[in-house]
Amino acid sequence: MKKVRHIETDHIPLPPKDAEVFTTACDYCTVACGYKVYRWPVGKEGGSKASQNALKSDFPHQNMLGAWVSPAQYNVVSHKGKPHNVIVVPDKDATVVNNGGNHSIRGGTLGQKCFNPNTKTRERLQQPMIRVNGKLTPVSWDLATEAMADISKYVLAKYGEHSWAVKMYSYQYFENTYAITKLAMTSVGTPAVAPHDKASGTNDATGLDDAGIDSFSSCYEDWQMADVAFLSGVDPYETKTTLFTQWMMPGGAKMIFVTPHKTMGVAWAEANNRGMWLPINIGTDSVLHNALARIIIENNWQDQEFIDKWIAKPWEVDSGYGRGTRNTGWQWRTTWGTWQSDWEDYKKFILAQEESKLDVAAQITGIPAEKIRLAAEWIAKPVNGKHPKTSFMCEKGNYWSNNYMNTTSFAALGLICGSGNRPGRMISRGGGHQRGWMGAGGGSGWLNPEKHPGRRKKSFNLDRWLMAGEVKFAWVFGTTWVAAMMASDAIGARMKELTNGSPHQIASLDRSAIFETLKKRVDAGGMVMVDSDIYPCEPVGTEFADFVLPAATWGEDDLTRCNSERRLRLYAKFYDAPGEAKPDWWAVMKFAEKMGYTADGSYNWKSSNDIFEEAARFGRGGVLNYQPLVAKAKEMGVKGHELLRTMGTTGIQTPIRVRDGKLVGTKRLHDPSNNWGEMEDSEVQRHFLYGFNTFTGKAILLKSPWKFPGWIQFYEAVKPRAEKNEIWVTNGRINETWQSAFDDRRKPYLDQRWPDNFIIIHPNDAKKRGIESGDWVEIVNDAVYVQTGQPQGVLDADLTFNQLMKDGHIKTTVGKFKAVAIVSDEIKEGIAKSNFNTPQSMANAVVSAVPDPMTNNYRYKLGRGTLTKVGESEYKTDLTRMSLKQRHIV
Amino acid sequence: MTEKMIPLHADQDEHLCMSRRQFLLAGGAMVTLAAIGLPGEVWAAPLHALKASYPRTKIGSLSALKKGVPIDFAYPYPNVQNILVKLGTKAGGGVGADMDVVAFNQQCPHMGGPLQGSYKDAFQAIGPCPLHLTTFDLTRHGMVISGHATESLPQIVLEVQGDDIYAVGVQGLVYGYSAMTAKKA
Repeated sequence: MKKVRHIETDHIPLPPKDAEVFTTACDYCTVACGYKVYRWPVGKEGGSKASQNALKSDFPHQNMLGAWVSPAQYNVVSHKGKPHNVIVVPDKDATVVNNGGNHSIRGGTLGQKCFNPNTKTRERLQQPMIRVNGKLTPVSWDLATEAMADISKYVLAKYGEHSWAVKMYSYQYFENTYAITKLAMTSVGTPAVAPHDKASGTNDATGLDDAGIDSFSSCYEDWQMADVAFLSGVDPYETKTTLFTQWMMPGGAKMIFVTPHKTMGVAWAEANNRGMWLPINIGTDSVLHNALARIIIENNWQDQEFIDKWIAKPWEVDSGYGRGTRNTGWQWRTTWGTWQSDWEDYKKFILAQEESKLDVAAQITGIPAEKIRLAAEWIAKPVNGKHPKTSFMCEKGNYWSNNYMNTTSFAALGLICGSGNRPGRMISRGGGHQRGWMGAGGGSGWLNPEKHPGRRKKSFNLDRWLMAGEVKFAWVFGTTWVAAMMASDAIGARMKELTNGSPHQIASLDRSAIFETLKKRVDAGGMVMVDSDIYPCEPVGTEFADFVLPAATWGEDDLTRCNSERRLRLYAKFYDAPGEAKPDWWAVMKFAEKMGYTADGSYNWKSSNDIFEEAARFGRGGVLNYQPLVAKAKEMGVKGHELLRTMGTTGIQTPIRVRDGKLVGTKRLHDPSNNWGEMEDSEVQRHFLYGFNTFTGKAILLKSPWKFPGWIQFYEAVKPRAEKNEIWVTNGRINETWQSAFDDRRKPYLDQRWPDNFIIIHPNDAKKRGIESGDWVEIVNDAVYVQTGQPQGVLDADLTFNQLMKDGHIKTTVGKFKAVAIVSDEIKEGIAKSNFNTPQSMANAVVSAVPDPMTNNYRYKLGRGTLTKVGESEYKTDLTRMSLKQRHIV
Repeated sequence: MTEKMIPLHADQDEHLCMSRRQFLLAGGAMVTLAAIGLPGEVWAAPLHALKASYPRTKIGSLSALKKGVPIDFAYPYPNVQNILVKLGTKAGGGVGADMDVVAFNQQCPHMGGPLQGSYKDAFQAIGPCPLHLTTFDLTRHGMVISGHATESLPQIVLEVQGDDIYAVGVQGLVYGYSAMTAKKA
């Protein structure tokens, strides 16, 4: 089908002087730039003189960084049923995050996200639907939620709470995540809850947590104040745009990029003599970290003063990773003696490791020895007797290839360089999604069958539970599930088998008939599925779900959350949600009514503000604590949301504290200068504010032996097989559609840029296979491993790959996908990279679904496959869509 | 070119001054393009009346164009700076025998950064913009290759008559404009 080229308009109406103004923040990446929305009735227009428009700017102008509205920032929406113009523009007055109105291509096109039936956003879900005879049929909210409640009650009574599951976004605003977790964990009491990006509700960068470092301890200014930034598995330009362009580019920091993909940030930094590219063999970061640590130790470059003061001593470590013998994460996963360490023991470990020797490390990581040595100099070698200020950032290239060991070794490297708790010297994640999780608590962990060896607590793996056929009812909130998880083909096939593969399909809209049908289905081993989303979600909503519920989203309700420097803002409602779409908290409330969970007066929410205020006390002990703001609002006699609204795009950084009766934000965590002594009002003083997040406040050095069986057996099993002519097929995001493809597919400008999935291939790998840019390539892995059994370990080796395989708990499946080749030397030879999470082309299909036995997280980046040209795509000759140019032009 | 000295954050003793490029990158300030010493003519940026429709203006000739060597021209207003370039490879909207002659605006439609002098003949691309590193594919109607502009680089519509090349319109909205002509879209 030939598509018509989208050409931007050459005229945008300016907002008149009396246009209404709302503040919000971007809906997409973790940085969350501040935005302003101007709204005015259709038919009016501001004049081109500064005195005649709400932007207070003369048009046309040629003032760089001036006020301007690009065509993608304009839309027409419905407000109270009447058409209104809106422009969604980065806040020129912002003094934090995106000072002066900086923005990314994603946030810069937010205007196009708004529902407008004249654009592709007409695909929004607008009515609740039930799948009748295979066809989604509009119904009332009452019937949908009643029928859901009927079968839920049956499932809970007959199969137990753990057969009732939720797969949900972790980030889509406090009000929604609190409502959903209150339903699932508190009211239903199920352990079967997993976030969008993981099979279980476990840690992300687990080694950071176990070292006592909060993943979001730093603030954006730290990256500007640093002399050196060590960037592990991330180019912030691609995925944290404004953090890079606003806070890293203008500073003088030198940057070390550890990634096999040379994207624009890497190329720019190198070209400007501020960058070093360490093109690493994927999965081998722990070897690099240990080799760097060895060079530092051998040269005595470590920050000894910091180590003496802030690294736990032997007795502090022995009291249980420094946290005491309480019920903590380290206790669940530790294998005594393998990981925990103190400075003397860590030094001994590093110097004794074969793999930390420079030449051995160079061979394993594929990074030239002289580059590793130079990197060690940059991050640690004292200049004029002073240690360089180095900050350490990790993201998914790091902890999604070897979850535990890449993060433990990364944390230890940062700590011996004296980083972790002071300005410009922090250890932190860069961040993915924004921080919108406010858990209500509960979750009935005792119903979880998973145990680490020694019967120690392990998180609940929802994918394995589903594969085993134990899920009878699954409610999916705003996530793809299939494309996002590993072995996508295998998990999709299983879901299909359990839902529309069942002979028991709803055939009428009669409530009791629906119940009888679904009862037969679950009793025959099948599963009922509900999908709440803003668009038809492939394949969960479009093929599998019996119930599809339309969600209202950003701009359609007042909502709140934090960004990756813990900055809390109100995301204002400014237009009507389409049709009968409702925010997810409302759908949860409706369902809770039908379940009878409201008898005690709970779920009595009139607006999202009621939830914001109720949820506040559940976050009091954490880094997202905003309870003092709610308490202050009550004292002032205003709503919590309204007090936050007055703070505009600046908001306030959590945890919020109180000084002299005023609300004060927290810039960075673990910083001793945060110790203010006495508490005031509703403030909570947790010691992670001014020390590390351990029992003693001191950080723990963790050892990371390369040959640890929980890692090395899996790594050897999933490596590309030379005899099959395979290469690594890793996955990642692309700047232009990072995290926002659900909208971008409906934004004409971005859809034109990326209409199909890509696979970036090194010219040498492409040539050997006869592949050119623009060719269709099929990627096949005929040995994708899926763990189906053995949730419990008893003996130490039980959850290692070889033992699981031997004991018959690993199923070998086939995964494949098709993508458009981009041949470019921006990617390291022997590794190809495709887009993560494209529904019609699932790169995760060639990745194994056997989680890290230490953390229960997948090794997402370790895909492999054969690459075969299967034709020429239309993009080879179509000059209107999908540029095939390389990404590192400088 | 002088280095401007601008305090950034009072609490950052080690980063008290910034170079001109860093100043541009830092954002938060408006700078007229004329004031920062761009190559080419100095542009006054006055308000001017918009024309009712796009004029047809001769901007060059096919025989005078050398592959990979851009020529500057203003269109449709004196302060709208563009380049005319022969890419040497077929392009969307390209004119001439090889359909490889194209023209594009030179203000980055992200935040107005100057793209002058950034044409990369090896890739038929413009950029990266000095402000936020956007690159544009001139073979595909100025589509963003990598970066942050929220529309393609506005393309100047060309016509050829004999050896003469005429600009006859603009596809897209030039940075800093709210309308390209007085006639509303």
